[in-house]
Amino acid sequence: MTTEQTVRSLDDPDLFVETPGTIYDAIPPLPPRTEREAEFYTMRDGEMLINLGPQHPSTHGVLRVVLKIDGERVVDLDPVLGYLHRGVEKICENGDWHHAISNCDPLEYIAAMFSEAMPVMVAEKLLDLGVPRRAEYIRVLAWELNRISSHALFVGWLALDLGGLTPILYGFIERDEIVEMLAALTGQRLLFNYLRIGGVNGDLNHDFLSRLGDWMGNALKRIEDQQKLLNSNEIFVARTRGLGVIDRDLARRTLLSGPVLRATGIPYDVRRAHPYSVYPELEFTIPTREEGDSYARYLLHLDEIKQSIHIIDQVLHRMPDGPVMAKVPRLMRVPPGRAYVSIESPRGQYSAYGMSDGSDQPFRLRIHDPSFFNLQAVGLLMPGNLVADTMAIMASVDPIMGGVDK
Amino acid sequence: MRISPTDVAQVMTLLHDDPEFRFLILSDLCGVDTGSVMQVVYHLWSDATPDWLRVIVDGLPREDPRAPSVTFLWNGAEWAEREAYDMFGIIFEGNRDLRRIYMPPDYQSFPLRKDFLLADDAARSPGQGVRHMEQTFQPAEYRRTPVLRQGLGSDAGHMAPGIQTAELASGEDPAR
Amino acid sequence: MSIITRPWGRLTLAGKIMLPLVALLVLLTVLLLVGFASGALPFLLGLGGQLVGDNIDIARFAAAATALLLFTVPTAFVIILMEMKLIAFVNLRVGPNRQGPWGILSSTLHGFKVLAKEDFTPTGVDVPVFTLAPVVTYLGAVMTIMVIPFAPGLFGLDMNIALLYFFAVAGLGVIGLMMAGWSSFNKYSLLGGLRAAAGIISYEIPLILAVVGVVMLAGTMSLNQIVANQAGTFADWYVFQQPLGLIIFFIAAAAETGRTPFDLNEADSEIVAGFATEYSGMRFGFFFFAEYVNLFIMSALTTTLFLGGWNAPLDAQPVLDFFNVTLNTALDPGALGMGLLFLVALGPPLLILLFTLPIWMLKSDWSFLKSLVVGFLLFNLVVMLFVGIWAYMTFPFVAGLFWFMAKTFTLVALFVIMRGTLPRVRMDQLMGFAWKWLISAALLNLLITAAAIVVLRDPSMPWN
Repeated sequence: MTTEQTVRSLDDPDLFVETPGTIYDAIPPLPPRTEREAEFYTMRDGEMLINLGPQHPSTHGVLRVVLKIDGERVVDLDPVLGYLHRGVEKICENGDWHHAISNCDPLEYIAAMFSEAMPVMVAEKLLDLGVPRRAEYIRVLAWELNRISSHALFVGWLALDLGGLTPILYGFIERDEIVEMLAALTGQRLLFNYLRIGGVNGDLNHDFLSRLGDWMGNALKRIEDQQKLLNSNEIFVARTRGLGVIDRDLARRTLLSGPVLRATGIPYDVRRAHPYSVYPELEFTIPTREEGDSYARYLLHLDEIKQSIHIIDQVLHRMPDGPVMAKVPRLMRVPPGRAYVSIESPRGQYSAYGMSDGSDQPFRLRIHDPSFFNLQAVGLLMPGNLVADTMAIMASVDPIMGGVDK
Repeated sequence: MRISPTDVAQVMTLLHDDPEFRFLILSDLCGVDTGSVMQVVYHLWSDATPDWLRVIVDGLPREDPRAPSVTFLWNGAEWAEREAYDMFGIIFEGNRDLRRIYMPPDYQSFPLRKDFLLADDAARSPGQGVRHMEQTFQPAEYRRTPVLRQGLGSDAGHMAPGIQTAELASGEDPAR
Repeated sequence: MSIITRPWGRLTLAGKIMLPLVALLVLLTVLLLVGFASGALPFLLGLGGQLVGDNIDIARFAAAATALLLFTVPTAFVIILMEMKLIAFVNLRVGPNRQGPWGILSSTLHGFKVLAKEDFTPTGVDVPVFTLAPVVTYLGAVMTIMVIPFAPGLFGLDMNIALLYFFAVAGLGVIGLMMAGWSSFNKYSLLGGLRAAAGIISYEIPLILAVVGVVMLAGTMSLNQIVANQAGTFADWYVFQQPLGLIIFFIAAAAETGRTPFDLNEADSEIVAGFATEYSGMRFGFFFFAEYVNLFIMSALTTTLFLGGWNAPLDAQPVLDFFNVTLNTALDPGALGMGLLFLVALGPPLLILLFTLPIWMLKSDWSFLKSLVVGFLLFNLVVMLFVGIWAYMTFPFVAGLFWFMAKTFTLVALFVIMRGTLPRVRMDQLMGFAWKWLISAALLNLLITAAAIVVLRDPSMPWN
């Protein structure tokens, strides 16, 4: 009697795939699949391919970029995504709407309060559910705090990719204070899982408010102090000014959004263009810059931090009383339909397109992540710059690979 | 707004260029599998109106979904179309870089299609493991449905059967 | 066999180390006694002494080279620790604080860790070149120390072309970096090696041109002579006659040693670790040490050329004369007579008790033994302080070494703080700065110096 061997040994010669070519080959020996790939892998004299990532100190996660360089100059590049792909959209289809909140949380892990809002707001729109005003104000408060914590890291990262060691640690001071604050509110430091369909999970507590009060007292002054380290730094300005210039036409055609778009002078902010939550009641301006280069993006982030502090100030003064959760059933049957919601995350327009077939599970939940589209523009900006500038451009566009790869 | 795949280029050019509409920004592009047909959904934004315009390209056949690309208007749609191709197998004609973007290049099936089954998905989905948009939710039927295991072979569980046979018949990747 | 192995296995670790040592010592003692008794050893010693006496220069050179080679390692450890602590201070961090008190052992332990790590040679590298590259880089760094005068009478080699030798040998380092970049079979390494070559060779020119001003003033290329020319108060240092030269030299030295903002050859956010990407273990350690030794050497050369070398900033003698203080530092044990015996016998215990008792009384939860140990350590510190002061006033080379190290490490700290503060420049900016600005400024400096020398030292002028 023989037993069929189902698991084959790794030493089995049939399993060993003979790859054509050697490690000395400059170009992978596979035939090109598309027109663009064929163009990319056609090497002219003196050009070589260099592989950045997916484990590289400054690709912000697991982005892999194949650079075609001529000496120090970048001729072309080919981003390779998918190293962090978890199939969040598919997972969301298999859980119910509440599961989708925690599944969407780690998409934009630097500012998780925005990505977890997506299934919540889609479900609310499909249910036509009114959220209590206090819950809306608390959401805005949490969003703006999270936006500041994200922008504080942006400044540090940009400087770190340019070789400055210190600003990232100064940025983490602000981020840590805010994150501790949000941990007092939500119980988590990174992935908050705080928003609920119909409100938020828990009212403001004393710990959060006392931390917020301590921080608000000198936040603006401290952030301005820390800016001086970079704003008056000749090397930093020389490295970022005039680098990676995006004009308005290019910005529109490449579907940019967020600070990258506003740095080109287009005042497109979803908070004003498609008002959601209680943003119409709040006073704030949309800072824009005309230059569209890395330095403009950096300055724009600083302006947005100030605007966010201004919004938080107003929210705290106008916070109404009342419940923080609408009356919703525990097992939620969302009526059939299609809904599209969009909010302004620190990196741009975060939107979701949800379809429901009347069950308790989303039929389709499409997440639109701004990093995905902003990262695409990097490929258009890079050619002609030096290898060192790839980092400056990539950091100034600030992609989060959790959202890019979904 | 529902249009057919043949009208995409014309409609989009009109919406983008006409001074009355001026839908300059494409907010989102995504694919949808309703279980019977494929759709491509565009969301457009204009500074003339605060509302979104949703354009649904309806009625793409599941066996060979093809739609024209909009990269001639928005070259940023290139990756979004690559993603829709990767997840649904929708082929955008005119996109010059239609490769897989998330999944490995030698991957065969399209994960977000409704006939792509996860191990725990088959156990809970009603009716042959495929949920149709038109199929209303019936708890009684849900309880009666036996747990589906026959769709999950020992090694071919993640392979969508329709796609596999189609590719074997034509002998090459439909993208080329 | 077990008669030997079983007791050996029962020994503690200390015993396993001590027992062979004791055996070795016994053996050596017996050998020495037998050698002296038979007269063979004195004969050999006499022969050796004659050999050394005949070739005193070579012996001196060998001794100095060994001493300096050994000296580089602790220096690198000190600078690495300094960097960790100072950058932590700039970053509002605590810094290393686990290994030893205040973390002072951390850099040393990192050194041992590097020594213990796997020395890995990847597939495809050019093995001989890959192996030789760290050695060449390290040698290039170490060999330059030979000519630096640390103190009066404390230098490896007094050459009349010391500066020329210095720059010639310092150029060896870049060959090592290029070898590493080329042989590593890695594109990051290649880019790093080429960046190092382009950057370092470009900055050699302003570096040397800045020094030429000092050479013109001193009229010699011997570093000992240059230091001797700067004797006196701090007003005699060349920094006041060559301020532009110092600035150019400092910037070019930062580029030469690959420090921020010019650390392009190992820019970690761009090309991972540059030429050192494929290195691990002690081969990487050689590169790492070479960088810090280079930093020390460049600071030492800046001190020598511009900041007066081992000269004290102020001469204390006029001040002492003004207050009619006479210091007699020469101890004459004979004058004390029996007092010396009492001092040696009673002084230390009494002083230790003097330090111990207050601690014991103030710290109520400390045992007497613990306060005794702390008191003993304090006593040692105080005695070392006094001995140091005595040595400083008695031996000129101790004073010289003190001032030399103080100035050098101040410059090292400046380099380190620069690393914590500034971002990195780009390749084209780096080259443009060297060729457009630094070389022009260095030539201008040269012109002004030459004109000033001609005008000021002309004997026909009224002020001469």
